[in-house]
Amino acid sequence: MTIWSWDYTFEVFPVIFKAMWITLSATIVAFALAMVLGIILAVLRRSSFKPLVWTIIGLSEFIRATPPLVQLFFVFYDLPFFGISLSPFVAGVIGLGVHYSTYCAEIYRSGIESVPRGQWEAATALNFSRTQRWTKVILPQAIPPIIPMLGNYLISMFKDTPLLSAITVVEMLQTAKIAGSASFRYLEPFTIVGFLFLVLSYPSALLIKQLEVHLNRRKKENKAKKSKVKDVAPSC
Amino acid sequence: MLTTMSKEITEKRIQTEKPFVVYKKVSKSFGDLKVLREIDFSVYPGEKVAIIGPSGSGKTTLIRLLMTLEEPTSGVIEIDGVPLWHKEVKGKLIKADEKHLHKMRGQIGMVFQQFNLFPHMTVLRNCTEAQVKVLGVNRKDAEDRAKEMLEKVGLGTKLDNYPSQLSGGQQQRVAIARALVMRPKVMLFDEPTSALDPELVGEVLDVIREIAAEGDMAMILVTHEMEFAKDVADRIVFTDGGKIIEEGSPKEVFENPKSERLQSFLRRMRK
Ligand SMILES: Nc1ncnc2c1ncn2[C@@H]1O[C@H](COP(=O)(O)OP(=O)(O)OP(=O)(O)O)[C@@H](O)[C@H]1O
Ligand SMILES: [Mg+2]
Repeated sequence: MTIWSWDYTFEVFPVIFKAMWITLSATIVAFALAMVLGIILAVLRRSSFKPLVWTIIGLSEFIRATPPLVQLFFVFYDLPFFGISLSPFVAGVIGLGVHYSTYCAEIYRSGIESVPRGQWEAATALNFSRTQRWTKVILPQAIPPIIPMLGNYLISMFKDTPLLSAITVVEMLQTAKIAGSASFRYLEPFTIVGFLFLVLSYPSALLIKQLEVHLNRRKKENKAKKSKVKDVAPSC
Repeated sequence: MLTTMSKEITEKRIQTEKPFVVYKKVSKSFGDLKVLREIDFSVYPGEKVAIIGPSGSGKTTLIRLLMTLEEPTSGVIEIDGVPLWHKEVKGKLIKADEKHLHKMRGQIGMVFQQFNLFPHMTVLRNCTEAQVKVLGVNRKDAEDRAKEMLEKVGLGTKLDNYPSQLSGGQQQRVAIARALVMRPKVMLFDEPTSALDPELVGEVLDVIREIAAEGDMAMILVTHEMEFAKDVADRIVFTDGGKIIEEGSPKEVFENPKSERLQSFLRRMRK
């Protein structure tokens, strides 16, 4: 037996490549969930109802302090005891989505906090409703600058999807494992998996870097313009 | 320059009409710091009031209470006879909810020291968004009104620019148009020119003068520009240490200040 068989490589590649779509769709759906839930958490954290705020902080800390794998097991194997049975894919997407939503919430929060107070005040003075202040004024300013950071978490979540194999989602790693155990050749399938992860995440990382540079440049340009406007009142 | 005629008209109104805004023993503290102390203050329909006073005397806070950006610690503010921060339930005044504030706020507009334009919207959008979303005006009509007001402040050609592409003076004029399109009954100005380079102050003051001369809308102007206050205001209010120390017509206040504090304030301002 040779160490590396190209014949075998060409044989398993299509199988694993097909499983990539499962990996990708799990990433996309889970991340969409993380982004939406993240916004909700970030907005609710600014509520004036303190018990709600404490609950959210506590829950987020808890989720971030426990390993995602444990959470996946909980969602998939333990929720059925509470009458909630989910398919592996759905359980995986919820597990990863909720886990990452707590990180997204922190990022949104930094974005929201960087919107100047005057924007809230102008929105109030124009009599926008509470919801409109968020949707028309604050979030459209808070989100664009943090897109690169969200992108980094997207990649990081993508690289976490092999965890889903532990709850029997047949994504790339699980497919490779199955192929390997049938042929007793693991080197090729696992190498292919690594290769596909690299091919997808490295260019994405570069893209995000690019975006970050672009956004920073724009911010600097705006700052330069703003600094022409003096912001101290003459005292009398 | 404001014509004496429009001032006379306002004078007549003040004699015959009820005040539109009334502060009754209004106090405001930030923690232990007492910023306003039992302020009694009124503004009549269409009246132009300039508030002057040393830094930290509570001028900004006074108008922020009316814009509902700050809640009074005690006292009552009424707009057209209706309490702003309170609701009357069974003869008792209780703290108003957001719904009540929303209803009341529509009567007030504000122009800020730092302009606070929405940087992610074009000039036109800055002046239409609230009309459409808050007043329910259809977009076409909102745009017509926005263009009319932007024309008035001399920015009819900048509709598609973003705020960051404008000078400070232009931004402040957009902010004025943005407030005007909402047709407030009272417009608040918080030192509208003090964040501007000196050469841009004039263009903003001219616009405010022009709006003041048109009449109907009451205005409360916090300003350090004494000449401007003298021209525009029907009444000057001097605050110090969280209290209204003296008030009267520009003539009375500037030419014949009674209190020692106002006298020394004016001496300092003239330097
Ligand atoms: N949100 C706040 N929290 C704590 N202190 C505040 C707050 N807002 C204002 N103050 C304080 O209240 C006092 C009055 O402030 P205010 O801004 O009303 O004064 P002002 O007359 O407008 O002064 P200026 O001419 O400098 O603008 C100041 O001492 C200020 O530091
Ligand atoms: Mg002030």
